[in-house]
Amino acid sequence: MLRMANSFPEEVLEHVFSFIQSDKDRNSISMVCKSWYEIERWCRRRIFVGNCYAVSPRMVIRRFPEVRSIELKGKPHFADFNLVPEGWGGYVQPWIVAMIGAYPLLEEIRLKRMVVTDDSLELIAKSFKNFKVLVLSSCEGFSTDGLAAIAANCRNLRELDLRESEVDDLSGHWLSHFPDTYTSLVSLNIACLVSEVSFSALERLVGRCPNLRSLRLNRAVPLERLANLLRRAPQLVELGTGAYSAELRPDVFSNLAGALSDCKELKSLSGFWDVVPAYLPAVYSTCPGLTTLNLSYATIQSPDLIKLVSQCQNLQCLWVLDYIEDVGLDALAASCKDLRELRVFPSDPFGMEPNVALTEQGLVSVSEGCPKLHSVLYFCRQMSNAALLTIARNQPNFTCFRLCIIEPHTPDYLTRQPLDVGFGAIVEHCKDLRRLSVSGLLTDRVFEYIGTHGKKLEMLSLAFAGDSDLGLHHVLSGCENLRKLEIRDCPFGDKALLANAAKLETMRSLWMSSCSVSYGACKLLGQKMPRLNVEVIDERGHPDTRPESCPVEKLYIYRSVAGPRSDMPGFVWTMGGDSDFKPHKLNII
Amino acid sequence: MELELGLALPVYNPIKFELLPKKISRRGGGCLESRNSCVKNKRSYEEAFGEIDVAASKTRPLLLWNGQPNEEDDRKGHDKEIDSETIISNVIRKDEEDAVLVGWPPIKSSRKKMLHVHGGGGFVQNKPRAKGNSSDGSNNSMYVKVKMEGVAITRKIDMRLYHSYHTLKNTLISMFSKYQRCNQNGGDYILTYQDKEGDWLLAADVPWKTFIESVQRLEIRRNWEG
Repeated sequence: MLRMANSFPEEVLEHVFSFIQSDKDRNSISMVCKSWYEIERWCRRRIFVGNCYAVSPRMVIRRFPEVRSIELKGKPHFADFNLVPEGWGGYVQPWIVAMIGAYPLLEEIRLKRMVVTDDSLELIAKSFKNFKVLVLSSCEGFSTDGLAAIAANCRNLRELDLRESEVDDLSGHWLSHFPDTYTSLVSLNIACLVSEVSFSALERLVGRCPNLRSLRLNRAVPLERLANLLRRAPQLVELGTGAYSAELRPDVFSNLAGALSDCKELKSLSGFWDVVPAYLPAVYSTCPGLTTLNLSYATIQSPDLIKLVSQCQNLQCLWVLDYIEDVGLDALAASCKDLRELRVFPSDPFGMEPNVALTEQGLVSVSEGCPKLHSVLYFCRQMSNAALLTIARNQPNFTCFRLCIIEPHTPDYLTRQPLDVGFGAIVEHCKDLRRLSVSGLLTDRVFEYIGTHGKKLEMLSLAFAGDSDLGLHHVLSGCENLRKLEIRDCPFGDKALLANAAKLETMRSLWMSSCSVSYGACKLLGQKMPRLNVEVIDERGHPDTRPESCPVEKLYIYRSVAGPRSDMPGFVWTMGGDSDFKPHKLNII
Repeated sequence: MELELGLALPVYNPIKFELLPKKISRRGGGCLESRNSCVKNKRSYEEAFGEIDVAASKTRPLLLWNGQPNEEDDRKGHDKEIDSETIISNVIRKDEEDAVLVGWPPIKSSRKKMLHVHGGGGFVQNKPRAKGNSSDGSNNSMYVKVKMEGVAITRKIDMRLYHSYHTLKNTLISMFSKYQRCNQNGGDYILTYQDKEGDWLLAADVPWKTFIESVQRLEIRRNWEG
């Protein structure tokens, strides 16, 4: 192998490597020998950093000098549910500053759960001359002023996607900063913005970008304006509507229905805020072509949902509120044979009583009727082991199974037993399961099943489950491919964590909140494992003011080659290495 | 593209590795000690875990944790399985004490912002931004909970979609008829509502407009006299 490698000129190898897209494969290539490592690092164009604190920008730049596209992730996943206090970190600025000098040809930045300031956006806009893609997913810290800078300066911008970001929405005027000569837009997602964008600017922009394929509007775009926009972009493949409501007027309806039926390429529909059901038939003509339908903001009742969904016979992905009810999921199972992903969200998550007739039965139906289903997120209020067993047998193809039974510690509603056996069946039958969230009443037994069978499991979310350290020990010692583990309100403590300390270095991160890990154990772990950043998050004040045996509020552990981070707020403490480990100063600001 | 950063095959420094502090290892007993030493002498991750796995499969996992404190834990777990009812009632009691559970159910804050709490804990969709005047914009939805006597499920309806008692009552009766066999004759039922003061009143006693402005909840009851 080595000899063969040496017999090729570098250029040839570089060309061969360029066909290899998968991150894993590129990493494997770089481990073959020194010369492959060298060649590979010079021709690596895309980088994914799953945790922005796992490596410093400087180290990335030193190893990969020719990057064109970078994807970075910041805060832990539980930040989505407000479990990470405000100001925790995840700032992109040091990365941008470092990349300006190193990567003048950078074209793509994709960020998830990071803090992005207007300064960062202005730097991006002014520094990267051939900048093309900006995706800010669940990011925060910036305003429409920053977006204006991007619009005004990035002449080659193809994609601007603000999915689920929290934008300080100063004005809708930013959109008019795209110059009149700008025509390269392919994808625009502004669904998370609140204020009205300037419609004339939007219409002109949509009209002059012939390659526009994806347009996701925000709720402030009225339904009456949608037809006009669509007439300017009949080539659209993905459409997110604004508010889907208007006074009932035949001309508005027929105008909209006509414009939609002219969009022959449409494959994806979303938006549908404030739906007035009478306007839904306007989209019927597009239904046979749809593969993706996001109705998770559409507060419409089951009969209307059924009418819509049963016309979408090629649907592969459906997001919907639980208003669809069991009867709607029956209809889905009967008509959508190509369905691969289903998410059912709760319409009244904090209500005490059920407000809809959605049970385990709906999920059983879909698992029976849709043979290609492999990804599920399902919120419901009752579940049984028998149902889970049926689902597991029907659908051994699951790669992602996230079930949230809304009331914590809910047992099997038929037998009053824990749901251990049911979730056990899921991990046992679904050999390719990568992501799992469990809920309901669960003992340590379920973790024995998960540790024994969940060999491909990469991400596991636990809440209100287990009885002792043994549960966590089963998971950490059994799940060989586990990368991310997040736990809240489980009685897991020091023993399981310390006994599996080495395992933590093979994972990206571990989050534990409201568990039983003591401050003493965190300190010990931090001291003994220099490659782990062990961060205690405690809003009650410094943990030193409490006994060492006192459990910490929140614990976030991740591997890092960059050392402890230097931007911790007052409620985060990094454990260990006070004197023997000097923090690696990020040499960039 | 995930950077492996060489962490998949970590090189351990040969520092003396005492994972468990004295007071914890005291509980451990033989098995934990041996696990300790295998971590202490680890050569590579695979080897170290090979040993742990062997140890775990030879001795059932529980034996790894046979210290005194765990016996208590295990008994607790056992009880839970047998008598889940007790546990559940405990849990419910606990939940009532601190009603707000941060981050549960796990719904993204961006999604929560789209729906905001209204009246009796129900949700209505947020308006994008008050256009000029107050919250009573014409296309603003207004959801209230509806119960029917004898039916467990509570429904929620948008009051803005109705314009008379007649259509409201008929819609509700047919909506609930799938849960319970009920006579479709409207005369068999009376519509009651809770006003802003919390009083339950007969819906038909007030003009529609007054009703719409004050209704907080609805309940359909059997008209035993009719």
